[in-house]
Amino acid sequence: MTTLLRLASLRLTLAIFVVFLLGILLAHLAGLSFSPIVTACCFLWALNLIAVLFSHGNFRRQPALLVFHLALLVIVILVAAGRLIYLNGQAEVLEGQAFSGRLVNFESGRFHPWSLKEASFVNHGFQVRYAPGLQRLETRNRVSWTDEQGVDQTAVIGDDKPLLLKGYRFYTTWNKGFALIFEWQPKGQTPLLGSVNLPGYPGNALKQAQQWKLPGLPEPVWAMLQFEGDLIPQDQEGEFRLPDDYQVVVRYGERRWELNPADSKVVDLPGGQLRYVGLTTWMGYLVTWDATVPWLLLASTIAVLALSGHFWQKYWRRPWNPD
Amino acid sequence: MEALVELRVLWAAVVAYVLAGSIAIIGVLLKKRPERSVLGLMLVGLLVHTASIAIRWERLGHGPFVSMFEILSSNVWSLMLVFVIAYWRLPAVRPMAALVMPILFIMMGWLMTVSPGETRLPATYHTVWLFIHIGFAKIFMGATLVAVGISGVILLRSTVFGREKFQRLPGNERLDELSFRCMAIGFVFESLMLIAGAIWAQDAWGRYWNWDPLETWSFITWLLVAISLHARLTFQISPRQGAWMIIAVFIAAFLTFFGVPFITQSAHQGAV
Repeated sequence: MTTLLRLASLRLTLAIFVVFLLGILLAHLAGLSFSPIVTACCFLWALNLIAVLFSHGNFRRQPALLVFHLALLVIVILVAAGRLIYLNGQAEVLEGQAFSGRLVNFESGRFHPWSLKEASFVNHGFQVRYAPGLQRLETRNRVSWTDEQGVDQTAVIGDDKPLLLKGYRFYTTWNKGFALIFEWQPKGQTPLLGSVNLPGYPGNALKQAQQWKLPGLPEPVWAMLQFEGDLIPQDQEGEFRLPDDYQVVVRYGERRWELNPADSKVVDLPGGQLRYVGLTTWMGYLVTWDATVPWLLLASTIAVLALSGHFWQKYWRRPWNPD
Repeated sequence: MEALVELRVLWAAVVAYVLAGSIAIIGVLLKKRPERSVLGLMLVGLLVHTASIAIRWERLGHGPFVSMFEILSSNVWSLMLVFVIAYWRLPAVRPMAALVMPILFIMMGWLMTVSPGETRLPATYHTVWLFIHIGFAKIFMGATLVAVGISGVILLRSTVFGREKFQRLPGNERLDELSFRCMAIGFVFESLMLIAGAIWAQDAWGRYWNWDPLETWSFITWLLVAISLHARLTFQISPRQGAWMIIAVFIAAFLTFFGVPFITQSAHQGAV
C-alpha cells in the first residue's frame, strides 16, 4: 500500500514532467534520439497515473479530469503501438510505370504488416511550377489505380494531397527528375529494357549522371544527360519539363560515346549492345503507414474536450474576484 | 503602390497602439485611470491594423503566415485582440496594460525592422488546418500574455513603487487565481494547437510528429505549462512563485514562436 501511495504521489508526477522536459531538451540540443527518453518518461508517467487512479478517490470523483488523464494514457499506449507498426519510406516511380512495392529506403516498426505490393498505382506524369528564385510551388501528379471493386480510378495528388491505398499514403516530394531508358541486348540473349534514374532535378542540376552495372559486364556503365542552359529560369516563373535539345554521354571503361537522340543511339559494349530508347521522368514519393493516427486524434480530441470541461466546471461556478 | 499604402496603414495602427500604451503607462504613474482613451485607441489601432493585413492579403492572395514580417504583424494583431477583450471584460485589472503594452512595443519595433517583401504560400499551406492550427496558437499566446501582465503586477508589488502604483488592484491571491485561469485557457488551446498541427503535419508531410525544432519547442512549452499548473496544485506556491513560472512559460512560448524560425532549416519553420 505504501508503495502504491508513493507511486501515486503528485510530487512524483511533477518530477516526471521535469525529467521529461530536461530529457527532451538534452535530446534536442545534443542531437540524441528522442525515443528512449519519451518511452521511459511515458512509462513512468503511466505507472504514476494508474497508481493515482487506484489510490485517489478525489480524482475519481472528478469525471472530466479522470477522462482527460485516461485519454492521455490511451495516447501514450497508441504512440507506443504506432512505433511498432509504422512505416516511413521513399519510392521512385517512372512516368507511365506502376509502383511495384519496392522502396528506395525506409524505416519501419517491427510488426509492420507489409502489404505494399497491394498498393499498386501508375504514375502518369507530373507538373511542377516554380516561382522566381527556383522556389517550388505546387506539384500535380496524375495517378491511376484499380480499386477493390475492380473499377479504374484516377486522381491528381501532390505534396499535400496524398494517394490513399491500403492504408498507405503516397505524397509527391521535391525529389524528382529525369530517367534515361536503355535496352540492353546481350549477345545471343533476349533484350532487357531498363531505366536509369538520374539525381533529382533541379536540386542536382550539375550532377545529371549515374552509373550502374549491366548484367554480364564486369565494369559499371556511366551515363550523363547533357543540355544547354537552365530548363527552369532562375529569375522568372517556370515549370519542370524535359529538355528539347540534349545528348546522352555514355562511358564504359576508357571509352566514351556521345549519343544524339536524333541519330546515333547504339553503343557497342564487350558483351552486347546498349541502345538508348528515350528520356522520361521519375517521381520520388514519400510513403507512410500508421494505423494508430485516427485513434490518436480521437483520443487527443477527447482529452482536450475533457480538460475544457474540467476547467469549465472548476472556474465557471466561482468568480475569480468575488468582492 | 498598394504595398506603400499597406505599410502606411500599418504605421498608423502602430501609432495608435503606442499612444494607447503610453497613456496606460502615464495613467499608472500618475495613478489615474484613463481607461476609455486606452480602450478607444487600442480599438482604433486594431481596426486600422486589420485593414493593413486585409490589404496585404488581397494583394498577395494569402494570409500573413509566411515571412517574419507577416508572422510578427499577425501576432501583434492577435495579441492585441485578445488583450482588448481581456481589457474590456476584466476592468479590475486594466492597469496591467502598462506592463503588457511594452511587450507589444518590442514586437512592433521588431516588425518595423524586418523586410515586408512579397511572399508565396508553400503548397502544404493550402489547407484549412493552417487557420485552425495558427488560430489556436494565437489564443494560447494571447491568454499567456494576459497572464504575464497580471504576473508582472504581482512581481512589481514586491517593490515600494509597485505597491503604490498598483494599490487599487485586487490582492495578489486573487490576481494569482486569475492568472492561472488564463494559463488554464492557454493550456487547452496549446493542446488543441498541437493536435491541429499534428493533423496538418500528417496531411502535409505524412507524419504527425517528427521532433523538428518547432515541434520540440512547442512540446517543451506544453510541458512547462503542465508543470506550472501541476506545481500550483501540488505545492502551496506563493503568487510570486506562480508569477515567475508564468513568465518562464511566456519566454519559452515567445522563443518557440519567434526564435526557432531563425535556427532551423526544416520544412516546419513557422516563418520561412
